Amino acid sequence: MKKNYGIVAAFDTTPALYQACLQVRDAGYTQWDSLTPFPVHGLDAAMGMRRSQVPRFSLTGGLIGFCTGMSFIWWANAYEYPLIVGGKPYFSPMFAFPISYELTILFTAFATIAGMFLLNRLPMHYHPLLKAPQFVRASDDRFYIVIEASDPKFNPAQTRALLEQAGGKDIAEIEE
Amino acid sequence: MSAPTAPTALANKFLTAGLAGLAVTALAFGFSENQQAVALAYLVGISYWIAVCVGMLLLILIHHIVDAGWSTVIRRQFEHGLSAFSWLFALFLPLLILAWVKPGLIWPWMDLTHVLPGGHGTVASDILYQKKASFLNVRMFTGMTLGFFAVWIWLSARLRKASFSQDADGDVQWTFMNRKTAAFGIPLTALALSFAAIYWMKSLEYHWFSTMYGVWFFANCIRAGLAFGVMITYWLYMRGDYKGIFNTNQLHCLVALAFAFVVFWAYITFSQYFLIWNANVPEETFWYNIREHGDWVWVGMLILFGHFFFPFIYWLSYRRKSTLRAALFISCWIAVIILVDLCYNVLPAMKDAHDDPLPFLSLHLLWVLTSVIGVGGICVAAYLRSFGTAKIIPIRDPRIRESLTHHEATAPETYQLEAHS
Repeated sequence: MKKNYGIVAAFDTTPALYQACLQVRDAGYTQWDSLTPFPVHGLDAAMGMRRSQVPRFSLTGGLIGFCTGMSFIWWANAYEYPLIVGGKPYFSPMFAFPISYELTILFTAFATIAGMFLLNRLPMHYHPLLKAPQFVRASDDRFYIVIEASDPKFNPAQTRALLEQAGGKDIAEIEE
Repeated sequence: MSAPTAPTALANKFLTAGLAGLAVTALAFGFSENQQAVALAYLVGISYWIAVCVGMLLLILIHHIVDAGWSTVIRRQFEHGLSAFSWLFALFLPLLILAWVKPGLIWPWMDLTHVLPGGHGTVASDILYQKKASFLNVRMFTGMTLGFFAVWIWLSARLRKASFSQDADGDVQWTFMNRKTAAFGIPLTALALSFAAIYWMKSLEYHWFSTMYGVWFFANCIRAGLAFGVMITYWLYMRGDYKGIFNTNQLHCLVALAFAFVVFWAYITFSQYFLIWNANVPEETFWYNIREHGDWVWVGMLILFGHFFFPFIYWLSYRRKSTLRAALFISCWIAVIILVDLCYNVLPAMKDAHDDPLPFLSLHLLWVLTSVIGVGGICVAAYLRSFGTAKIIPIRDPRIRESLTHHEATAPETYQLEAHS
């Protein structure tokens, strides 16, 4: 038998899903997700999700970009090939600033995109949920909660009971 | 929902403080040996509060032109702030009268016999004045100043009338009227504030050129408007009026906008400095040269780090943008630094016998303080008087529901402004 990926439950309305998310969150699960056809405001808080870690990547990228701009202009104009342009000093943060500023933005953008892909583990060409045909409705008119077997609190019987009690329908186990 | 209880006692306190500040400033002007110092300090004080009110006016106009949703809850407070404009006009009249009675006391180009330092003749014989004479003369100055206030007071009256009337009848046509007001009001306000900055502040050194000056003042106006917006929010939240109305998401949007203008101000101010530094033309560089004299160089550093780096780094994190106390702290900080920025632009116009600027740290700062308290007391009193005349939020605005439930599905009552984990 193949390894169990997790347990899925379906919900018909947004409030039902929202209430179920509160229960799963309060039961202490961490490795789980909800699937909805459209963004549901407040669901992040109901799922107990923390703020994204992407800003840390952005900040790092921005700092690297700024330092790259400053040090590269210093290296090129004041160190490797000292050159007087327009009677200005070999190096001044004044004229290095526009370039450093542009590189700050550019590297921030790169780091943000890269951080988002990394944290989401993208690109992901296969996901166990794709095997279950009912999931096409997650992009149409149904709402799902998936609790993964990798969750430390996962227990096939208890987790199923929790989802049943939360009002989940068509509860099924998904293979890896 | 009824109108909030009018804080009459508080308004009277501010009015008293304002009148006291104005009286001290007037006495200082009457008895001081250096009348120019007191007059310039008063110019700083009144420009400061004009910046706050113009900022609020612009924020309302921008709100309407983009048909914004989230800012509907805070908009009413800005509308109350606009009630100060007619008082600001009255308080500007002494400067206008001075321009006619004592030409050259504040703006040197008004006195054609004023002798330029270094044996360069008088203002009348100065080619740089002659070329600008059709723009820089007392009649134009007076007419334009009257025009600026006419624009601001007229737009404010239209915006306030439409918004307050909608509270009573809920007619959506008021929203459309405000949108039209915004469409022609934005260019009018932009022109008025740019020319105001040029006439009142930039022309203190009429040899100078800078194409960024109007935008610099615009950036300070918006930053001042937003800083006072956060302070008002804090006051209303602590007072209890905003409980269950104002949530973390609206605060985050308000502060994110203020944060964006931290960067915008830095971009404009740096560009002005950088272009002048790079071109190295004497007619432009002298303006910064005199601001590197004496203690002014430290004022410049304070502006560089205090007006940009500190608020920028402090507000980078989401938590500090969405926590009321952190937002309030930096808003108060910015409100003070804007005043320093105005001092930096205005006060070095005072010169000693060697044509060097008088130092920043001096008795003149006291007159800046009395002017700011004087004009500010009147402005805050006007705001508080208006505050009791309308509901705390535009209750029948078509966007009010969207604003109250901004980004959240559950009832706003459950939100904590203080903590977000």
